[in-house]
Amino acid sequence: MSYAEQVLPFLVPKVRWALERFRRVAPEKWARLEEIRLRAGQPLQVEAGASLLVTADGAPAVRPDQALPVEAPDVLRTVQLMGGNSLYTLEEELREGFITLPGGHRVGLAGECLVGRGTLLRLKRVTSINIRIARQLKGIGRRLLPYLTIGDRPLRTIIISPPQAGKTTLLRDLVRSFSNGEGVPAPVKVGLVDERGEVAGSYRGVPQLDVGMRTDVLTGCPKREGVFLLLRSMGPQLIATDEIGRPGDLELIEEILNTGVGFIATAHAWDTKDFARRPSLQRLWARGLVERVVLLSRRLGPGTLEGVWNGQTKEALLAEGQRLEAKR
Amino acid sequence: MRIFGALLVMAASTAAGWIYGALLKKRWQLLNALIQGFQWLGTEIGYGSVPLGEAFTRIGARLPKEVQALFTGFAAALNGAAGLTADEAWQESLTQNRDGLALTAEDWAVLSDFGRTLGTTDREHQVSAIRQTIARLTHQATEAEGEYRKNERLYRYLGMAAGALVVLVFY
Repeated sequence: MSYAEQVLPFLVPKVRWALERFRRVAPEKWARLEEIRLRAGQPLQVEAGASLLVTADGAPAVRPDQALPVEAPDVLRTVQLMGGNSLYTLEEELREGFITLPGGHRVGLAGECLVGRGTLLRLKRVTSINIRIARQLKGIGRRLLPYLTIGDRPLRTIIISPPQAGKTTLLRDLVRSFSNGEGVPAPVKVGLVDERGEVAGSYRGVPQLDVGMRTDVLTGCPKREGVFLLLRSMGPQLIATDEIGRPGDLELIEEILNTGVGFIATAHAWDTKDFARRPSLQRLWARGLVERVVLLSRRLGPGTLEGVWNGQTKEALLAEGQRLEAKR
Repeated sequence: MRIFGALLVMAASTAAGWIYGALLKKRWQLLNALIQGFQWLGTEIGYGSVPLGEAFTRIGARLPKEVQALFTGFAAALNGAAGLTADEAWQESLTQNRDGLALTAEDWAVLSDFGRTLGTTDREHQVSAIRQTIARLTHQATEAEGEYRKNERLYRYLGMAAGALVVLVFY
């Protein structure tokens, strides 16, 4: 079963049928499926290399009126199916705005909010759904690994890229490789703080994607608390976390630095210049707190490796534009 | 020959009376089993936030056979490929099991109403809907018990008496 097929049973039947036909009609597009988007009152849309509209027969539509219309009840029904027809099991998810499906696929939600005392209590009525297909591309980080270690020690690394260029997929593979000792001198114990549940794709607490045998995953925990919990209790040699860049994350990294363990994190940025300009990340770059900076882009498709820099000397260790490939 | 016929009529009529009496008792027992099931459901949802399919399967396994089908049938319909809503799956399970259970139209109406908000609201509301169903079933059970205690013996005697009457008239 391909990754994308795992999400089909959770879609409202009419959308499911359209996408099943889409899979048969356009298998090459299906293979590149990144997102499925349902918006109340809008046509069915998928992201597969490009943004496409899909008809009820599963063909790519040219005009919006040819595409399968998605109505508000379809969106609600899909949310119910994702919650096993038990909306009450999604209370936490409706507060956070996302659901994780078996297989680690992440479903983002938007709609009408219920607010109490000025804070968001939960989504009252979901009108937009974004299903992001999680992919495990084992071995895509293999070529990078020699640049990310010195001796046995994993270096403090940050992966930067624009959205949807494969940051999380690469992070997942690096975590797995370090943890299993594949392509590195020695395996290390990894503590993964998976705040948004995207790296390990945990479903009811169990990772659905392979993050390695020496990896302890903390799902849904705020980064700061999570990092300290793992440092205190699990004795990791490498801390991994997704999406840094908020105020406070810098201090967190400084503290990790003091403990002497390695870390890998990802951050949103278009290139190293953009990275160096971002207020919360600037000091990381300027003070050389990170030892390696890996830049990805979508230039040749998701997962294009643009280069690896030494974060302290700012010298390019590897400069190329090549897609990272999964290895068997 | 005539005596044999007379005995047969008596026996059949008495048995009918007994069966009718037993059905009254059965209804009371079924309602109690259902109340128990819904109480467990309240715990599963209220404290465990367990999804419906899982909760009903688990509860079904602990219930007496007759009502078990109502719960496991629901879980099967819900997890089926048709993508039914919880209400649709519940109504389907009720329809499928309707003939096998000695319940009255009013009892069925209570069960059918329960499906309406099943799975579509938050935990608090689900628990309150379950409580309401339990209250209504308890009311039905009290009525069923009264009827059974009052009338069980009556129906038994009535059966026998009707048989005797028929025999007397036609002998």
